[in-house]
Order: sequence, then C-alpha cells, then structure tokens
Amino acid sequence: MHAPFFKFGAFGDEVGLIWAFVLGIGFGFFLERAGFGSAKKLVSQFYLDDLAVFKVMFTAIVTAMLGTFFLSRAGLLDLALVYRTPTFWVPQVVGGLLLGIGFVVGGYCPGTSVASLATGRLDAAAYVSGIVLGTAGFALAFPALRGLFHAGSLGARSLPEALHLPVGVVVFLVVLMAVGGFVGAQALERRFARIHPERS
Amino acid sequence: MFETITTRANHLVDPHLHVWAWQIPLYLFLGGWVAGLLILFGLKLRRGARPARDSVTYPLPWIGLGLLSLGMLALFLDLEHKLHALRLYVSFEPSSPMSWGAWILLIVYPVLVLGALLDPPGALTRRFPWLTRAARSIRWTPDRLRLLGLVAIACGILLGVYTGVLLSSLGARPFWSSGLLAPLFLVSGLSAGAAFAHLIARRSDEQRQMVLLDTRLLAVELALLLLLVLGLVGGGAVQKEAAALVLRGPLTAIFWVLVVGVGVVLPLVVQLLAIRGRVHHQPVAPLLVLGGGLALRFVIVWAGQASHWLHG
Amino acid sequence: MSTTLRSVDQPERVAPSDASAEAHASTRVAQPYMDPYLAGIGLGLVLLAAFVIMGRGLGASGAFTAFIAWLAHLAAPAWAQQNEFLAGYLGDGSSHPLKAWLVFEVLGVAVGAFLSGMLAGRLRTTTERGPRASVRARLIAATLGGALMAWGAHLGRGCTSGQALTGGSLLNLGSWIFMMCVFGGAYAVARFLRWQWR
Repeated sequence: MHAPFFKFGAFGDEVGLIWAFVLGIGFGFFLERAGFGSAKKLVSQFYLDDLAVFKVMFTAIVTAMLGTFFLSRAGLLDLALVYRTPTFWVPQVVGGLLLGIGFVVGGYCPGTSVASLATGRLDAAAYVSGIVLGTAGFALAFPALRGLFHAGSLGARSLPEALHLPVGVVVFLVVLMAVGGFVGAQALERRFARIHPERS
Repeated sequence: MFETITTRANHLVDPHLHVWAWQIPLYLFLGGWVAGLLILFGLKLRRGARPARDSVTYPLPWIGLGLLSLGMLALFLDLEHKLHALRLYVSFEPSSPMSWGAWILLIVYPVLVLGALLDPPGALTRRFPWLTRAARSIRWTPDRLRLLGLVAIACGILLGVYTGVLLSSLGARPFWSSGLLAPLFLVSGLSAGAAFAHLIARRSDEQRQMVLLDTRLLAVELALLLLLVLGLVGGGAVQKEAAALVLRGPLTAIFWVLVVGVGVVLPLVVQLLAIRGRVHHQPVAPLLVLGGGLALRFVIVWAGQASHWLHG
Repeated sequence: MSTTLRSVDQPERVAPSDASAEAHASTRVAQPYMDPYLAGIGLGLVLLAAFVIMGRGLGASGAFTAFIAWLAHLAAPAWAQQNEFLAGYLGDGSSHPLKAWLVFEVLGVAVGAFLSGMLAGRLRTTTERGPRASVRARLIAATLGGALMAWGAHLGRGCTSGQALTGGSLLNLGSWIFMMCVFGGAYAVARFLRWQWR
C-alpha cells in the first residue's frame, strides 16, 4: 500500500473527514497531556521559566520530520503528494509577528485554545470568540489586504532548496539544532529555578 | 398534513430541493425526547416516587409539555397550509400514520397535564394560585397514581415508536424502511429522557441511577445503529445503495462522527469511566446525548431526502 | 464546557487489579503533565500519521475561516462568493462549508483534549491569569489576543499547528520564517504583558 493513502485513493473525502476527527482526537489528547490546555503553562515559554512549549514543539517536529524522511527514503511515502503551504515571505513575516504578539496577549494559539476550552477555561472561550471576530474582520478587510497577502511569493519552496543543501543534511542540522535547544532549555530552566525557587 | 411542499422548496428561493427542512427532524427529536420523559415518569411513578423524596420525577411532565409544544410548533411551521392541520381531526384514518400521530398527541397532552398537576413548581403556583386549586381537585390514591404511571408508559411507547413508524411508512426510501427505525428512535428518545433527568437530578444517588440507566440505553442504541447499517449492507441493491450513504456517501462523516462518535460513544465512554469511579461525574455527557439524538434525526431524515449537506 | 460543578460522591471502589495509585484516583487532585519529550513524540507521531494517511498535516485556524465562510454564505451569499479569502472555503457551492477537513479535525481536538483532561482530573471552569490580573482584564486581553492571532494566522496562511508544526516538519521555507517570527514577536512584547501572567 502506498502512502499518503488518501492521495492514492484508498478512501474518499467523506471517510477522510472521519480520519480528520480521529487524528484530531490524538492531536488534542497530546496537546492537553503536554499541558497546552493552560495559558499560564503556554506563556511561561516567553518568561523563560518553563520551556515546555519549545521542547514539545521541537520534539514533535523532529519526530514527524524523521518519520517522513525515512518513510520517503524507503519508498513508502510519496512526499511530493503531501500538501505544502506555499511560501509568501512578506505576509508570513507580518503574520508570524502578529501571531506571536497575539500569543502573549491572549495566552493561546488556535489549536491550544480549542483544547483549553474543552477543559473548561473561560479565557479560552473569550479567545475563541476573538478568533471568530478577528476572522470576520479579516474577511471584511481582505480587499485592502490583498496586496500584502500575495506579496513575496516563492512558491512551495523547501528549506533544503532555499539553502542549496541535500535534504539529509538539513534534517541532520534540524536535529542538531533541536538537541542543542533542549540542552540550552534545561540549563535556562535550572537557572530560573534558582532565581524563582517557588515556581519550580 | 402529509404535505411535502414547504415554503423553501421553491427553486426561486433555494436551488436545492428542501422537501423537509429543519422542522421535521426537530419535531421527531422532541417527540422522541418527550416519549422518553413519559416512560421514565411512568416508571418512577409506579415505583412509588413521591415529591418530598424525589427531585427527578415530578418536573418531567412540565418539561414534556414545553418540549412537545415546541415540537408541534416546528411541525406547524412546516405546513404550507396551516389550517389543513385541523382536517386530521375531522376523521380518523386507521391506515395513515399521520392520522395516528395526531390522535396520539391528543392523548399525550392530557396525560402530561395530569402528571404536571401532581406537583406544580412553586414558582408557578405563586403566580397562578388556581394551579394549586386545580392540583388539589384531583384526589390521587396510590392505585390511581400507578394507573397514571401505566398510561404514561403506554403513551410514551406509542409516541416513541410512532416517530419511527412515521418515516418507515413513507415507504419508498430504503433507509427508512428498516424495521429497526422504530426501536432505534424509541431507545434514542428514552436515552434523551434519561440524560435530561440526569441533568436535573439533585441528589447523587438519583444522578447515579440515571447515569446507569442512560449508559445501558446508549449501549443498546449503539448496537441498534450498527445493526441498522449492517442490515442495509446485507440487503438488496437498493438497500446497499442506502447503506453507501453512510459508508462512503455524503452522510458518512456526520453519521460516524456526530451521531455515533460524539453522540453515543463519547458519552458512553465518559459515563462508563464515571461509573467505575475513574473520573468525576460529567454533566457534559448528557448534553452530548441530547445533541447526538438531534443529529440522529437529521441524518435519518436527510438519508431519505435531498439536502444541501448531501450534495458534494 | 461545564466540568465538575456538581460532583457525584461515588464510593471509592478500589479494584484489586488497579496497581498504580493514579489508576483509580477519583481525580480530585490534578495529575502532573506528561513529560514534554514524550508528549512531543506523541504529537509528532499523530502528525506523521496525518501525513501518511491523508497527505496533509494538522491545523486549526482554517476551521474558523470555514465557520465564518459558512456564516457569510448564509447572510450574504453573493458577497461571500466574491470575497477571495472566503471563496476558497466555499468551493463551488456544491458542498456544505462546514464539511471541511479542519472543522472535523478541530472537533476531534476538543474531544481529545476533553478526554485527556478528564482522565487527569484537570477539567476546571476557571479563567487562567496571573495574581495581578483581574478576570475582566484577562478576558478582554484574551479576546483581543484571539483577534490578533486570527489576523496573524490568516496572513501567514496557517497558525502554530498548520504552519509551525506541520510546515516545520516538512522543512517548508515559509513555515520556518513564520515560526521564527512567532517566537520573535512573542519575546518582543512579553515584558509589556508581564502584569497579565506574573
């Protein structure tokens, strides 16, 4: 059987929606397990006393990256059929900054706000209503934002292509960076635990 | 009342053929729910529930009255010629389920009113003192209470089965012709009733009793849903085509995710865990049961009809 | 969603097979979170499964766009069809806008998080805030943050899930740019929002 199964016609759109639900359950489960149903836990990342966000995110990225890399090397997964969001670097810089600010102001990102709402947090409900209002506003303002939205188009470009390096080397560098980050994160947390022992 | 023309089924208004919009599924759901409340009320009454020691039983007929009226309103909104509804009461057609339905409702209302008068809530008797007088004018002996309970159970079963038979009798739709539809709607209605009783129960032993009852009902409902699909799969070509609607066709996702997943399996899992003491009691489970019941009626009605959800 | 507002006082039934203390904990005390590396591996495997099964990653913000597209389509169908941003979520009008992959995925996220929170005794109806922030200020900030985030995610064509996590593991150039900017933006303003959290 060839992967991605859906792209090879193993099942149709409707069954795909059931998979969406099942995969979503897994996603939500591990988000909550990691503590990402709590705004305080999430923003601790930006006050440097609990770097779980970085650790979880990069462990997940490395796991999925190594999985796709080796599966495609083994010829089991056709990576060309996996959807890639095209790069528009200008709106992605602006959007990233706005999202980062919104993260600290609101305490969540969209996925974690849903997980948090499902575990009863009222601020997550406010945050979700903010997303709905913001999305409506964005749709209304879209004619004026069109230029920005389409600026800096580079197509569906990958990091190895941009850096002119083989995929394997970039994968190795990302793993190296992540491991370095984990070591650094542990050191930072130990330092902050000494400064604010009550919070550890 | 057997009109398949609604105000929206007009190509100028709506490009898709909405033979029945939201009104009929809502009516079927509310009817089933009231049936469940009636059966539960009757059972509790026959077991000797008394107002002083019971927070569940006596509000049920009041809620039933409200829900049934809401359902009738939905049905009424579905009719193009509102006055034609009255014609059903001019004659009785033994072969027409719609006629049966109209007459069943005529029995259900008085039973609900009698039940409601057993213990009118304080908020109402303070504003309407005549309610107390009306309640006191009926002399209830234990035998009469048990009789009322029996009548309530009978009415509930009639009403619950009727909501399923109504669709089965409309014939040519293979998804509706299954004999399992009536028991499925009855069990789903009972489960909605138990879930609601669970929500309003004040005492923990009453809550626990309702959780246990609803958990069993959900298990039966799950089995019936699977049997319904399996029965269609094992049927003739027309039945297989109907089964495809929920196996790969346009109702697949909503059926398995909303009706089966969120509406039955999730509350079942939550309540099983709660019964075993693994987790706290969760009031969210009965809400899911109610939502799942509504989704079930929509899916079943859509399965025999053209709808926007179906295209695509 | 309501949580443990009215708790049933269940008798503590300790099944003999329950060896660990947590197994039958009546979960009055919240359990500690999972080890971040283990949770990350779990998350990564779910993401990998999405790639293998569906040929696409996880997301979240698109579900909200589908929701708005549906509302707009109900209120002003002609306008919604002409709006370039929403039109993509409406398709050719043949399918219901809410019948979208991300809508079902986000529904699953809510269910999965609820199950995890329930099993760990972490369901609480509260407003998360630091000791110096009032509930009211926190709710206003959360709403504002959600709106800011919505603009960020729609400009960036995805959020932390769709861009950073999914695009990041696919070694997508734009996703890594986006991710760096998310951390940059957040660290830049963190000190001005300390009142809310510390």
